[in-house]
Amino acid sequence: MNVPDELRYSSDHEWARIDGTRVRVGITDYAQDALGDVVFVSLPDVGAAVAAGAGIGEVESTKSVSDIYAPVSGTVVEVNADLVDAPERLNEDPYGEGWLCVIELGADEAVDELLDAEGYRTLIEG
Amino acid sequence: MTLRTSPLDAAHRALGAKMVPFGGWDMPLAYEAGTLAEHRACRAAAVAFDVSHLGTVRVTGADALDRLQAALTNDLDKIGPGRAQYTHLLDEADASVLDDIIVWWVDDERFDVMPNASNTERVVAALGDGAVDVTHERAIIAVQGPAARRLLHAIAPDAAAIGRFHVARFDWNGTECLVAGTGYTGEDGVELAVPAAVAGEVWAAVLGAGIQPAGLGARDTLRLEAGLPLHGHELGPGITPLQAGLGWVVSWDKGDFRGRAPLAAEKERGISRRLRALTVAGRRPPRADQPVLVDGVASGVVSSGNFSPVLEQGIALAFVPPEVAIGDVVTLDQRGSEVPATVVKPPFVAASPAEPLA
Repeated sequence: MNVPDELRYSSDHEWARIDGTRVRVGITDYAQDALGDVVFVSLPDVGAAVAAGAGIGEVESTKSVSDIYAPVSGTVVEVNADLVDAPERLNEDPYGEGWLCVIELGADEAVDELLDAEGYRTLIEG
Repeated sequence: MTLRTSPLDAAHRALGAKMVPFGGWDMPLAYEAGTLAEHRACRAAAVAFDVSHLGTVRVTGADALDRLQAALTNDLDKIGPGRAQYTHLLDEADASVLDDIIVWWVDDERFDVMPNASNTERVVAALGDGAVDVTHERAIIAVQGPAARRLLHAIAPDAAAIGRFHVARFDWNGTECLVAGTGYTGEDGVELAVPAAVAGEVWAAVLGAGIQPAGLGARDTLRLEAGLPLHGHELGPGITPLQAGLGWVVSWDKGDFRGRAPLAAEKERGISRRLRALTVAGRRPPRADQPVLVDGVASGVVSSGNFSPVLEQGIALAFVPPEVAIGDVVTLDQRGSEVPATVVKPPFVAASPAEPLA
């Protein structure tokens, strides 16, 4: 499984690309592989306030439904609307074209709770 | 519980299949291509499924026909040796469908009865002495799709030529095998029952003929697009053939059969619910157990649902009040979102014309 070193990870299999106070979010390669072919994605609304660990959307494959949880707290400032008609991008390019949304970190919010790549590898290989 | 494995288990693992427990067996969910690609390959060309988890219950003897006629709903006198028939085994108390079955009538006094994996034991019990579970002796390879026969013709011409719902023996390098013109995808195709010892070489030859493997994920989306029932969803405890819209499987003029009296009583008073096919607006897959609202009132339930890879929208089978008719619009409650759904006549997707044999 591909686990890029530069990203941070939640134990719910989301990744977070941290760029200052902007955090781009998606699901991991491990998650997309476990889901199988993704056929439907629901995304949060731009402007929505989200709390780390709370549900922000759903991903459905031919075999199951999974909730997507916010890896950090803040405000949704961008969503990948292309996924609505092309959810297969989650399978094809989970760390690139398959990104889900961008969350602007709230004041005083930290990302310390997230795993680093090594920690996430240990989680999924454990 | 230890899962049973197919004679083709090693081949699936070598192909990188994702395995999944199903009916007590460890079977391929999908290969590397994935469920959607496997599904589309079956509609456009051909795929091969390992369906060795289906049971084979062999019923032999001079009284075999009479015993099956007394146990099952359909009338075997409508067919004869060398033919296959879809039929039901009912609960004698309430006419619930205990299993839906294909009977392969191999010879005058030999029937290979093919139950669903998890129902094999109850079918053996219902058919009594002389019914023997021979599931472990063979593999079943379903080759399905408009190009199935054309591609199979290169390696097993006799098997490729079998008629729809016909059954025959064919020779595989000196080993006797069986073929039936049956399947569960809505497409043309055949099912090969081959002794376990040669299963690996037949499977390899099928793939070598240009037929790609497909797993249970695609088998489920294909049967759903074809509007075909799955035991445990559209059939099972509390569900009769009449509720499932499968009245044609019941032969009322053949005499008594197990479950006839309670089924006749239901026919007389009228069914309380009926299976219908629904298409939903949008891609979101309906799921089993989601409520169906009719005129704003929750009065039905989805039995199976998924994304249709061909229509690229959600489709479902659902039990609804009998007055709900084709063309009506109902509402699905999909995890809290209310989505309109239209009642349609199945199949959702028509079969592709079969390609001629080479």
